[in-house]
Amino acid sequence: MNLLDIRNLSIELQTTNNSILAVDHVSLSMKEGEVRGLVGESGSGKSLLAQAIIGVLDERWHVHADRFHWRGKDLLRLSPEERKSIISQDVAMIFQEPMSCLDPTTTIGEQLAEAVDTEQLSGYFWQRNQQRKNAAIKLLHKVGIKHHDLCIKSYPHQLTEALCQRVMIAMALAKRPMLLIADEPTAAMETTNQGQIFRLLASLNQLKNMSILLISHDLENVTHWTNNITVMYSGQFVEAGTTKQIFTEPYHPYTRALLNSSPKANIELPVKSRLMTLPGSIPILQHLPIGCRLGPRCPRAQQACVKAPKVSNFHGHQVSCHFSLKDTY
Amino acid sequence: MLIFTLRRINLLLITVLLLTLVSFSLNFLFPGDPLVNMSGRINPTPDQLLILSDQYQHNANYFIQYWTYLQHIFKGELGVSMASHLPISSEIINLLPATIELSMTALIIAMCLGIPIGFIAAISHKKITDNIILTIAMLGYSIPVFWLALLAILVFSIQLNWLPSAGQISLLYEIKHVTGIQFIDIMLSESEYKWQAFQNASSHILLPACVVALAPGALFIRLARTAMMDVLETSYIRAAKAKGLSFLQIIYRHAIRNALINVIRHVGLQFANLITLAMVTEVIFNWPGIGRWLIESIYQRDYTAIQAGLLVLSSFIFIVHILTDFIYAALNPLARDTKHGA
Repeated sequence: MNLLDIRNLSIELQTTNNSILAVDHVSLSMKEGEVRGLVGESGSGKSLLAQAIIGVLDERWHVHADRFHWRGKDLLRLSPEERKSIISQDVAMIFQEPMSCLDPTTTIGEQLAEAVDTEQLSGYFWQRNQQRKNAAIKLLHKVGIKHHDLCIKSYPHQLTEALCQRVMIAMALAKRPMLLIADEPTAAMETTNQGQIFRLLASLNQLKNMSILLISHDLENVTHWTNNITVMYSGQFVEAGTTKQIFTEPYHPYTRALLNSSPKANIELPVKSRLMTLPGSIPILQHLPIGCRLGPRCPRAQQACVKAPKVSNFHGHQVSCHFSLKDTY
Repeated sequence: MLIFTLRRINLLLITVLLLTLVSFSLNFLFPGDPLVNMSGRINPTPDQLLILSDQYQHNANYFIQYWTYLQHIFKGELGVSMASHLPISSEIINLLPATIELSMTALIIAMCLGIPIGFIAAISHKKITDNIILTIAMLGYSIPVFWLALLAILVFSIQLNWLPSAGQISLLYEIKHVTGIQFIDIMLSESEYKWQAFQNASSHILLPACVVALAPGALFIRLARTAMMDVLETSYIRAAKAKGLSFLQIIYRHAIRNALINVIRHVGLQFANLITLAMVTEVIFNWPGIGRWLIESIYQRDYTAIQAGLLVLSSFIFIVHILTDFIYAALNPLARDTKHGA
């Protein structure tokens, strides 16, 4: 059974004059214990999708979906309150820029303690404070922070970015979630810290069988840690498959271009030659092309591309393109 | 925190020093003999003039004159009033507490009502509550204080006869002057009519304090509303939502404190404004405070009183300013310790 099954999710931004379709019919499914990468350029709607799943978008954004199942339960039929309670129980999210996601005037200890939910506590209410504190310390140990005394008393601005991210992960773990959504967890971090954070996430996945949705703009960086990858472009679904499929046989011209644009993936590239890149840049939300949004930049675009392609499935390797590269392999 | 305290005290000292410099130079800028302006003794005989010029080192250079002036101030000798011939320091000690009482009560009323109402407006943003609150705040901020005071007297004192229109306390009650702040004096007195006196004093202060509080209160509503709306947009509130906290929990634990920080900063700045309003109100409500005395001194061209009164009032405003800085630091850990590299 799928842990999370989303079909044709759209997110609309309601402005005073018109509405903008920021995310256009994206499907995403996750199995238990899976690590899935969600990859795309900045501005491709990855973070929006994640925030829509967790339900923290404000009222300017309208979310529709054909199907939104969580462990077989249809969340669309539930009221917003019920949906929120189920989601906040089982899904946790860590945001990019951890420093700004921690309350600057509250100590780390207090913020951690309030994330521990009441069901894990036992005994009378006067014992609970102590239990919360102990739970917070245990959580800090879990994410590899040894000096818990110092950390609990600190304010966010007194910690480094990497430590803050660990604290955020600890907070996310407090509910013992089945799914952890990591939205660019290592943005603006040096490589050593990036490695630490990814290793921590990988160990959580292996030891606790926790599913992880890893959002990143850097395809290369996540391949190391993921089983499956979903690629998005400008709010549209592009391609999904196992990491190997995506890396060795990309079906979509966009994925191919993404791979070609990274120097590591094509080592045979002669010295001092130009890297392959797509012309132009990602369209802004106010001026989205119709049909396949890659159209104006796509090397294989033809007249048919003014209509959005349907998703075709080849043994679990899904691609959304009229002229996929499948036949070229 | 120690460094923070030292820096604030340093700031206080330097500002007070600058204020004395201003009031010292006022003696020379006002019309008349600087010596007369400084001491307040009008029409001195040549003998008195000699004694005065010796006291204030009038024949030495300006620096020594200023130094002597400072010594006089720190000894508490602010000269005598040109109008009443009473020592100004004793007048100020008599009058300043009443102003402190009025302005502090007004400040507390403005903060206790304005800030929570502003928060409510921010939480119900774009709804009808928000619009109503904003309209009232706009109205409250634009009403001139003297007109409001007259209107309040007309309605609440004369027509409805609910509250007294003038003075600090009814003449029936005899309260000994100890600290000067009426409520503390009442508590200290051993009269058997203590509680009646207390009630009477509260009914006297209610109307002027509310009049003074209206404009700053309306401003606090707007400040609190913007601060709260800014905080509710931040990513840590979104993260707290993702943590599964309820809306009320988010407001109580994270939003209020962060929004308060931004409001408290402005309270200190607004206090100067509030004192100005209090001075006008004191005249209308016949409140025996320093503001009314200062305005009367201006009418009477009592230069000694003007410069001493300005010095004392501005020091008081500045002390309150520093106090709000401390409250700000207590709420905001970022302001407390010295940042490295920033």
